[in-house]
Amino acid sequence: MQIRDYVIRRLFVLPLLIVGVSIIVFTLTRVGGSPIGIYLSHEMTQEEVAQVEERFHLNDPLPVQYAYWASGVLTGDLGWSGVAAAPVTDVFLPKLAATMELAISAAIVAVILGIALGTFAGARKNRLPDHVTRVFSISGAAMPLFWFAILLLIVFWVYLGWFPNGRSTPEIYARINHPTNLYTVDSLIAGDFGAFRDAIWHLVLPAVALGYGATAIIARMMRSSLVEEMQEDYVDAARAKGLPERLVLRRHARRNALIPTVTVIGLSFGFLLQGSVVAEIIFQWPGLGRWMADSVLRGDQATIMAYVLFTSVLFLVVNLAVDVIYAYLDRRVALGE
Amino acid sequence: MVSESTQAPALTAGDSALKVRMRRAGELSASLLKNPTTVGGLILIVLMIAMAVFAPLLTEPNTPDPYQMPRDWGAIAEPPGTPGHPLGTTNVGGDVLYGVIWGARTSLRLSVLVVSITVVVGVAVGSLAGFRGGKVDEVLMRIVDVFLSIPELIFALAIAAVLGPSFRNIILALAVVFWVKYARIMRAQVIHVKENEYVDAARVIGDSPWRIYRKDVLPNAITPVVVQATLDMGNIVLVGATLSFIGLSEAGIAEWGVLVSEGQAGISAGRWWASTFPGLMVFLWALAFNLFGDGLRDILDPRTETTR
Amino acid sequence: MTVVEDGGRTQSVAHTPVASVQDLRVHFRAKAGIVHAVDGVSFDIADGETLGLVGETGCGKSVTARSFLRLVPMPPGIAAGGAILFRPHHTCRDCDGAGCARCHHGGRVPQPCRDCDGAGCGRCENTGHDTVDLMTLPEAELRDIRGDRIAMIFQDPGKALNPALSIRDQLSEVFYQHRSRDLMADVGLDEQGGGAFSSMLRRKASLRTRRLEDVLLAMPPMRSRRNELRRAVDGRVADALAETQIPNPLKVMDRYPHELSGGMRQRVMIAQALACDPDLLIADEPTTALDVTVQARILELVRELQQRHRTSVLYISHDLSLVRRVCDRVAVMYAGRIAELATTDEIFANPSHPYTRGLLAAIPAASHERGRLTAISGSVPELVDPPAACRFASRCPHEAPVCRSSLPSMSPIAEDHEVACFIHHAPSGAGERPSYERRVR
Repeated sequence: MQIRDYVIRRLFVLPLLIVGVSIIVFTLTRVGGSPIGIYLSHEMTQEEVAQVEERFHLNDPLPVQYAYWASGVLTGDLGWSGVAAAPVTDVFLPKLAATMELAISAAIVAVILGIALGTFAGARKNRLPDHVTRVFSISGAAMPLFWFAILLLIVFWVYLGWFPNGRSTPEIYARINHPTNLYTVDSLIAGDFGAFRDAIWHLVLPAVALGYGATAIIARMMRSSLVEEMQEDYVDAARAKGLPERLVLRRHARRNALIPTVTVIGLSFGFLLQGSVVAEIIFQWPGLGRWMADSVLRGDQATIMAYVLFTSVLFLVVNLAVDVIYAYLDRRVALGE
Repeated sequence: MVSESTQAPALTAGDSALKVRMRRAGELSASLLKNPTTVGGLILIVLMIAMAVFAPLLTEPNTPDPYQMPRDWGAIAEPPGTPGHPLGTTNVGGDVLYGVIWGARTSLRLSVLVVSITVVVGVAVGSLAGFRGGKVDEVLMRIVDVFLSIPELIFALAIAAVLGPSFRNIILALAVVFWVKYARIMRAQVIHVKENEYVDAARVIGDSPWRIYRKDVLPNAITPVVVQATLDMGNIVLVGATLSFIGLSEAGIAEWGVLVSEGQAGISAGRWWASTFPGLMVFLWALAFNLFGDGLRDILDPRTETTR
Repeated sequence: MTVVEDGGRTQSVAHTPVASVQDLRVHFRAKAGIVHAVDGVSFDIADGETLGLVGETGCGKSVTARSFLRLVPMPPGIAAGGAILFRPHHTCRDCDGAGCARCHHGGRVPQPCRDCDGAGCGRCENTGHDTVDLMTLPEAELRDIRGDRIAMIFQDPGKALNPALSIRDQLSEVFYQHRSRDLMADVGLDEQGGGAFSSMLRRKASLRTRRLEDVLLAMPPMRSRRNELRRAVDGRVADALAETQIPNPLKVMDRYPHELSGGMRQRVMIAQALACDPDLLIADEPTTALDVTVQARILELVRELQQRHRTSVLYISHDLSLVRRVCDRVAVMYAGRIAELATTDEIFANPSHPYTRGLLAAIPAASHERGRLTAISGSVPELVDPPAACRFASRCPHEAPVCRSSLPSMSPIAEDHEVACFIHHAPSGAGERPSYERRVR
């Protein structure tokens, strides 16, 4: 009951927040130079410029302009991307697929590694593995992704040559169809093991680089909530039953420690989204982030607006989902005990 | 324990309150110095700031603008150990050591500016919301919620992009993004402190709201803001350097992110140094403030785990 | 040791105690120094009796109780000395638990000593009964005793039950851990052989499966066997719950702790503790966290089950009036040491330690006039590196110089009555001795 009310309240607030974000995004484009810059050229006459302005409703009051823009967004018209030389909507999906492939791989790395490390450290509080993990996770919070990624490239690509740079080997990429634009999935659909291997091989470095920060956050949270759970009475009760320490940890403490960790996994998703901009620049990954970075440098406002709006909505939805899962998992919280 | 002693001085007046505060500050620094990682962070911070402050003594400042990288066109992409260029040069002849040292100065300028702006704005907004409550609170917090809906780096990136690439605009963009956290922390703190009896007592005496805020609420609510500000001294340099790396600063300034970006082109040819050293500095800078801020939080946060 | 032949509550006392605490010392490392939380505690728990351990918060009674299962975290805890000898029993084969001459009407008999097979040796202190020291027992052997031969119920059942696991999951763990052989027999599984599936199922019956094996077991070929095993466990879980008078055990099994009332949760805890029919039940203030109305029923339940199972109980409480209702004997603890130990009737009729007297005076009784409750002045002393002096001296109204210079030890003053106080046995030549006539404060 209470969970349902909570979800309904959050679902009600969500559209308001999205409208708020869209207003900020819209305001941003009006603060900067002319939003139609890419449609203009030096050869245009005054009249031609006025025509363009008329076409994009630049002579109307700002709220009306916002209404035009918002209705465009709702009908899937996100404007023209100068960088991609195509409508934003047309290039969005394939690039999103590339980004998602990277972000999800990084998330998998982060969740598995983070939980394992956090458990390992939390179960050995104040012993060597705990201190090592602590250093690891504080370093994670302080690590500039752009530097870490370059270090990985220097070591594993330039010197050791173990892993490639980029998203794919062009010849291999070209020999299969791409119905989903997720290279790993497409290669499996095509049944081409060589392509699959190529996809995984190219994913390793960027996923590790992107996942490091999130791993650190998750490990830290897991460690501290496990330490907290280990002091609970039910842990002693489990020991008093005669369970071996391995089961006390696995069946009892870890299960409860995972609950607060879920919230950080949502938070670290924001981390991954942001990081993908940097990681895609360095690993030459043809995704949304790199497109955004190019657009930023070339003043491609349509793309910037679309990207900010999209990532915010995604971020909000993921966090909502995480909070709902948390409320569901933590039965103590749900009943307000 | 800790919260009690934070609140105690509010009741006493004048110099005795000051004495209590001084003694408390002494106790705080004593317990801070017990934790080796905190001390490590502090030492790093001191080294970094010293480097920033004494930059003109450590290297010959470039003229006319010392924040611009000097170019030695006779030494392009030289490895570390080259005479005159102990950390090597970039592929446009920039001395990496100069960038490392003056980059500290740039970073100090960036973080101090942004942290002071955001703390002032955030504390003002948060205090207003928390102290007034009602409609004002409602409206301000909805705005804060919207700001928090956009991932930090992406928000800053969009703002800086719209304003155009320059270091000044990076400062502005970061200020717009980072004040929200303080507003939220401060509001929660003010609401919490407001509940205390000594605030009621002051109200009964007939103190003006401004006086109550200044004397009783602000000093007792500010602690978490201080912790967050310490952590942000590091985070802001991290995000700022990332924006510079992406290309939102002027090219050629002595800034760590810009240098890493310049060096990136050379790594496939094995020229690792131009990116590695400035990037390491960003890492150490952020690490220093994170370690210290972490230790600060452990001591100031009453929920810190005890030995038993 | 002592066989009490006369009638009354103590009739079932057998000749060897089920557990003996011998000069137990448990300390804690703290910032200020070493805290002597338990500092030289000795007592026996006779077979089938209920021993009350009474004292104020922080007197070391919980630490003593937790030491039985080695649940005191080390560090910061330090096992500074002493032993807790424990003699595992099994149901008497002659009478199947009904009580006969062989088992001294206790229904249980001690197991023969593993070193001398009952002949008597150093290990078993010439009792011939298997004896282990719980303080030094290897971890694996200790685990076999925990939850099987010695069980514990905790103060707050809301905290001692895992919020994320159903009642079924929590209770079945006990059976999987200690009764996996019986479970295997229930589903007709041999202890050896039978291929990969059988060994997987055997591991399931003792909680040793890996996650992948759990998945495999949930799939068709193995599924039916696994469900059979589950039904066997469920049956035992339901029986255990029914024993504590939980209505509708099959429904309660599927609930989570937060869905049950406090009294129900404590019943679940008790069911879990008694699931394997232990020799010793440690009850750490089992009713403190409950509503007063529920307290009485839980107390009654513990008493009734204890008599039916002939389990020995170590009952920890700060409430003397409560202890009077359930215990055969009472040990009063103060500041890490035992002050007085006697049968319940004796201690209430003839309290002989000033602290015990103070405690009894502080109990409101129906006969008391309004406003005449007495409190003991002062508070429990710091236990950091305590000097060799009576711990109660600073609060004792009858204190004499000798109390401040040497430590009184437990000495008998009557049959089944020991006191650690110089009023009853002052060292010779110690000068002025304390007495009840003397009033210092």
